[in-house]
Amino acid sequence: MSEQKTDVPYGTLDLLILKTLDTMGPMHGYRIARRIEQVAENLVRLNQGSIYPALIRLEEQGWIRTHWGISETKRKVKFYSLTRAGAKQLMVAVANWERATALVARFLGAES
Amino acid sequence: MRLRLAASRLLALFRKRRLDSELEGEIRAHLEMAERDAAAAGLSPKEARREARRAFGGIEQMKDHHRDERSVRWMENLWRDLRYGMAALAGDPGFAAVTVGLLALGIGANTAMFSIMDAVLLRPLPFPEPERMVRVWETPSATEHNNTTTLTFLDWKRQRDLYEALSVDEPLRAAVTAGGDPVRLSGRLVSADYFNVFGVKARIGRTFATGEDQAGATPVVVLSYSVWQTLFGGDPEVVKRNLAIDGEQHRVIGVLPKGCFDRDEARFWKPLIFAPNQMNRAQHLLQVIGRLRPGVSIEQARGKMNILRASLAGVIPQKDWGFTVDPFAQILVGDTLRRAIYLAFGAVLLVLLIACANVTNLVLAKGAMRRKEMAVRAALGAGRGRLMAQLLTENLVLCVLGGAAGMAVAYLLLHAATAWVVASLPFTADPSLDVRVLGFAAAAVMAVLILTGLFPSLQISFGKLSSALNQAARGSSDGSAVVRRTIVIGEVAVSVVLICGAALLFKSLATLQQVDAGVRIDHVITMTTDLPAAAYPTPESAVRFYDAVVERLRAAPGVEQASVSLDLPLQGVHWGEFINVPGAKEGLLVRVKMVDPWYFATLNIPVESGRGIEDRDRAGAPPVMVINQETARHLAGKFNLANPVGRVVISYLPGYGPIPESRRSLQIVGVIRNERTAGLNAPIEPVIYVPLAQNPRQDVKLVVCTQSGTAAAMPGIREAVRQVDPHLPLEDVMTMEQVRERSMLWATQPTWVAGAFACIAALMAALGLYGVLAHAVTQQRREIGIRMALGAQPGDVMSNTLRSALSMLLFGAAVGLAGAFALTRVLKSLLFQVSVLDPVALAVACLLMTLVGVLASWIPARRAAGVDPMTVLRDEG
Repeated sequence: MSEQKTDVPYGTLDLLILKTLDTMGPMHGYRIARRIEQVAENLVRLNQGSIYPALIRLEEQGWIRTHWGISETKRKVKFYSLTRAGAKQLMVAVANWERATALVARFLGAES
Repeated sequence: MRLRLAASRLLALFRKRRLDSELEGEIRAHLEMAERDAAAAGLSPKEARREARRAFGGIEQMKDHHRDERSVRWMENLWRDLRYGMAALAGDPGFAAVTVGLLALGIGANTAMFSIMDAVLLRPLPFPEPERMVRVWETPSATEHNNTTTLTFLDWKRQRDLYEALSVDEPLRAAVTAGGDPVRLSGRLVSADYFNVFGVKARIGRTFATGEDQAGATPVVVLSYSVWQTLFGGDPEVVKRNLAIDGEQHRVIGVLPKGCFDRDEARFWKPLIFAPNQMNRAQHLLQVIGRLRPGVSIEQARGKMNILRASLAGVIPQKDWGFTVDPFAQILVGDTLRRAIYLAFGAVLLVLLIACANVTNLVLAKGAMRRKEMAVRAALGAGRGRLMAQLLTENLVLCVLGGAAGMAVAYLLLHAATAWVVASLPFTADPSLDVRVLGFAAAAVMAVLILTGLFPSLQISFGKLSSALNQAARGSSDGSAVVRRTIVIGEVAVSVVLICGAALLFKSLATLQQVDAGVRIDHVITMTTDLPAAAYPTPESAVRFYDAVVERLRAAPGVEQASVSLDLPLQGVHWGEFINVPGAKEGLLVRVKMVDPWYFATLNIPVESGRGIEDRDRAGAPPVMVINQETARHLAGKFNLANPVGRVVISYLPGYGPIPESRRSLQIVGVIRNERTAGLNAPIEPVIYVPLAQNPRQDVKLVVCTQSGTAAAMPGIREAVRQVDPHLPLEDVMTMEQVRERSMLWATQPTWVAGAFACIAALMAALGLYGVLAHAVTQQRREIGIRMALGAQPGDVMSNTLRSALSMLLFGAAVGLAGAFALTRVLKSLLFQVSVLDPVALAVACLLMTLVGVLASWIPARRAAGVDPMTVLRDEG
């Protein structure tokens, strides 16, 4: 592989999943993984499987909920969707992220 | 949110298998879709599968990660802390024993007390809608309550918009036969409505039907569960059988459910049918209980009863008597008992508070030694929350152990106290460790956990942990010492409040015991007997018994004097009646006692003027009476009868057995000195004494004065009575001493309870003081060593420690006195001729606490004085 790929930055996968569900509505695990890869335009290296631990974590926090649906391959699969608490958490996480990146950007700017 | 997380993780623990298989399914679906998409992009099926797997990443690794995410870390932490806590306790058994013991004592005593309070005050009437149950009275004055008359009762009963049920309630003793030998049992004469007042249905058969209390109805009887068991052997067909009550056959119509009616002294209930000659408004014999209609308040009922009273003004001869309605629970429990229970519960809460303070102090002292451990753990990355959780969990172990031991203490206390306490509780009360009491105990444990745990964990977690690492472990006194001293001062203060209360009660009890009963107390033995109507059908037969039994008793070995009377001193006189002086409009309400010619001599009551009752005052002789000084005073004041002896007054006196009372003209033949009839603390009542031979009764007391020990004379007394009537049982055998003790039970019980709690509190406070001083001496050994090396004498060191103790004690006592001024007011109604601010009692209380405290500080003070400066300084290096 010749492209420069990086891992998903630590702690951002949750944010990516929440944002994905926020924009796209309910979807199953494979679609979420594909969507993240598409938006990232193959810039990040995502082990698709790693979204499942993230999904159970978000579910336990009450930020997403699941219901059963039928996949494109006619299998019964879990569909994930954002809860109200999840939508609120997304706003908090986005704000936090923006503050953090702004801070880092400022430091980097001052250094150059 | 945290709770939700905890709950879902806990759930996940139980759903492990399902979650695993769900994840398995998701992975399979995921790979299928990835394969399909890859194939659509032009890969061969084999390549597509490989691509899908690659993009997915390590499956097993992910599964592990998945499981981690849903694991219950907090539970593992909790478990680890619990194990750690138990191990820590096991490693310090002295600390464990003292803390768990303190908590067990505190929680146990509280739980036992709550059980009593719950049974007596919170749920005094285990019946449906108890707030509608009332007692209805006539009121001779604003403070007095009296029974009512037959006709007035019937007027009340007609107030159907007011009362759902209204019943008379009259005690009765009778010989009862269910085929076998006759037994004498207590019962009640009631209206057909009686069980509707309680809202109680029969367990077998039915209770009374309307009309069964009317003249001409078939005689019926309802049994208690216990008598159904004992007399009828639990026969399910009991309703087809008969019960003979004083020889008259009654059909058994029902058996009551098991429970509170078994603790009532009554064993059977039969309708009271009014005789035609009872239909008057003169005899105030009827006790009345009722159930208000739903929605009728006590105030409304009282208002309507006042209106009714006004409308009856023309027919009721007692012009200034009113009617009133009182909540039944209030009558049943009584103000004195209510206050005594509140008092005991308050005291026991304070004891628990002191126990908590002591445990807090112990945990703090232990915490001071653990600051380093905590600091290290914090340095290694343990969060403050995590450290606090650990400390709270360790405390939880203490509290749960203390609570469990406390339940055992409560069980023992209740069983030990039942016999002593139940006698003074109403029949409906059944103190036991039920669900409500267990709930209270659990709440107490939680409260104790918060009280004892939060403070030390805050102290440790938020103290400067980093400085603990630098500080020498044996450093001089720190901030926690101030806190611990403050806690001890608080303990001393609370103890002083309790001791003040107890001291006041003891002084009051001592004053009460000084009161002269007006009768001989020593060497007097009393007993109750009840002449069965079958064996003693006529007044003459009863009088023959009195004569014979006194003659036999006086001949018995060791007996000096014997008599027969109705009612004993100090137990109240049951009979009350008006006496009317001819020519005067108003009557005088007096108590009436029937006594034989030897009553005054047996009890050492001197005749002040005229004569006492004599042998010649028999049936056929002119009716006479003797009055007490109080009656004489009233006659002199109200009716200008300065010299009552020889005057004739008119009164109503009861007949023998079913014979109704009748109007008599009685000549006053003498005045005797007052005896205390109603209790040592009760005001002296006007009493008249009429000859028993002229007014015989079935329910009489035998009073015997013995030459030496009462116990030694008892077999002879029994034998003497047996010779007169071998079938006559003797009950309630009590010395006059015991009668006197029992009459003071209302005062002795709360006094001893408060005294016991005050003792425990003082000891606990002393223990707390000891703990703080001992800890301080250990911590300051170096300081003390240096001071001694610089020339301080052991005496100086010792007095220094004692001064520190004394300052805590005096400060605590001052705060406690202020508390006592504020709180002992609640004692007022329990005190007899003692002010709530009695200076002697309060001073004694402070002195006692100080003395106990100084004794407790003696040991650490001695140890401080024994510090060897060389050893300490060398040890320090």
